[in-house]
Amino acid sequence: MAMKGKNCVAIAADRRFGVQLMTLSTDFQKIFEINPRTYIGLPGLATDVQTLSELFRFKTNLYKLREERDISPKTFSHMVSSTLYEKRFGNYFCEPVIAGIEKDGSPYICSMDLLGCINHAKDFVVSGTASSQMYGTAEGLWEPELEPEELFETIAQAMMSAVDRDASSGWGVIVHVITQDGVMTKTLKARMD
Amino acid sequence: MEALFGITGKGFVLTASDTTMARSIVIMKHGEDKSRVLNKNTLMMYTGEAGDTVQFAEYVQRNVQLYGIRNGVPLSAHATASYTRRELAKALRTRNPYHVNLLIAGTDPKTETPELYWLDHMASMVKMPFAAQGYASYFCMSTMDRYWKPDMTLEEAKALMQKCIDELKIRFIASLPQFTIKIVDKDGIRDVQL
Amino acid sequence: MARRYDSRTTIFSPEGRLYQVEYAMEAISHAGTALGILAKDGVVLAAEKKTASKLLEQLASSEKIFQLSDHSCCAVAGYTSDANTLINYLRLEAQKYLFTYNETIPIEQLVQKLCDLKQSYTQYGGLRPYGVSFLYAGHDDDFGFQLYHSDPSGNYSGWKATCIGANSSAAQSILKQDYKEEITLKEAKSLAVKILNKTMDTTNMGSDKLEFATLSVSAGGKVVYKIFKPEEIEQLLKDEGVLTAPTEQTATSDTPSGVQ
Repeated sequence: MAMKGKNCVAIAADRRFGVQLMTLSTDFQKIFEINPRTYIGLPGLATDVQTLSELFRFKTNLYKLREERDISPKTFSHMVSSTLYEKRFGNYFCEPVIAGIEKDGSPYICSMDLLGCINHAKDFVVSGTASSQMYGTAEGLWEPELEPEELFETIAQAMMSAVDRDASSGWGVIVHVITQDGVMTKTLKARMD
Repeated sequence: MEALFGITGKGFVLTASDTTMARSIVIMKHGEDKSRVLNKNTLMMYTGEAGDTVQFAEYVQRNVQLYGIRNGVPLSAHATASYTRRELAKALRTRNPYHVNLLIAGTDPKTETPELYWLDHMASMVKMPFAAQGYASYFCMSTMDRYWKPDMTLEEAKALMQKCIDELKIRFIASLPQFTIKIVDKDGIRDVQL
Repeated sequence: MARRYDSRTTIFSPEGRLYQVEYAMEAISHAGTALGILAKDGVVLAAEKKTASKLLEQLASSEKIFQLSDHSCCAVAGYTSDANTLINYLRLEAQKYLFTYNETIPIEQLVQKLCDLKQSYTQYGGLRPYGVSFLYAGHDDDFGFQLYHSDPSGNYSGWKATCIGANSSAAQSILKQDYKEEITLKEAKSLAVKILNKTMDTTNMGSDKLEFATLSVSAGGKVVYKIFKPEEIEQLLKDEGVLTAPTEQTATSDTPSGVQ
């Protein structure tokens, strides 16, 4: 899940990794730092989460060496989109969420389907097994022009409530709030069962 | 019906694999070692489709060995696991993916940190303090959840391993009479008895 | 005699030489000097830019020193266009390794990869060898800081301090004299400036004629690549007392076009 605030964005994910109903790991990374102002969340099939995160690290590292600057969230989301669409037939099972701050300071969020169709939103985007629950919680809690601390509280509450209602997600939540000055990362304990 | 276990302790990983080769309802062989030594400090254990398993394990084994010969520096456990995951992931999107589930155990000879990686046939990889592969995981993950603690001694780890195997004997419908137990530490890989 | 054996790139002469490869090395000996010094806490790369004309626009990015990955960089001497292709190749190989093993590529392996490519052009016919020599600076966990040199034949070697390009033998002999074991990064920087000051055939050093980069490890254990900005080079030259007032210079060089 990603949310826009006032000159800030937040991105959050749960930490469970399991095969069907068996939980194997409770510190599985689904959100990846692309650069200090761009983060990507990759919910979906674990193997593709790992492959894609490695692939984006590969591509953005080369981008940085070539362009001698960090990739912007908007440019990056198009990179993600083409990467997914490249595998139009035989796709990755992953629907990414991207959050970041643009060069001019404006917040940027988007989500994508597994073929790379980008969805821009003015408020929040959600993806993953608990997405239907997240729509409800985010819809209820989000307000425009939230400050970083308020945004953190909003996304944390929205995530916790949503994953508690979904059997296949949970075991803690990780939240990153990205502002112009830096990133605040917090790991939350939710219902650990 | 196959079972693999791995338990990390202080400076070592203790591993166990069952030794039964079965086809359909028939046991074809007892005493099969379902593991390959990748290099001095890294062991791969495998279950899955017969044929795929040994083929894949030996493919990885030889590539890891080749790396060591070419570069004079052995591949670390983490790099080995990442390489294995990459190969599995590549094969996954071809016409003939490998149907192999793996545990990779390694101990860094310099820092003596034990590492254990769990990989499934779809090439998801997780680093775990203890792990099980196959039906055994349904029975024994909870046993290990309950009794595992950081920096266990070899004796404690052996006792826990015995608990897991006993649990299978009581609750699991299939009989797995024999296990190969190995230890992976800074000195290399050895067979041990529980 | 030679003429008959230098028309093809992959034919040995009766004396056992590959003329095209030697000609490629000849091109490099006209290129701007690049030197590298391995210190105990880092590596310095410094290079002389052969600016042909004062009318030429300064490039936004560097033209002699390039970053290859998070933990390695290189300085080039020779055909810039060839170097660009090879740098692209090096960067790609570094990322491929990271993608496969989730670990950074050991420096020697990276150098070896490129040398395999270079070597192939001394053996497979039809194409000219790459006319570039490289100095690689890098860091890996197994061997710490390292400095390598590779030439168009595909040979490579590890060094404590070395130099390529024009006047490299002069620079090399100063290095041999002044290099001491356990040299610090700071001392290595001054040594680099001192040598370039002596060997460059210009009377006035300035940031328009120099490129400078260092590789070191931060307090947090991360490898830091730093390419000096023009102001920082000026400052460094000032600190070393070799900065002179810039006067107009006419390009006097018999360097073939494209060789830098």
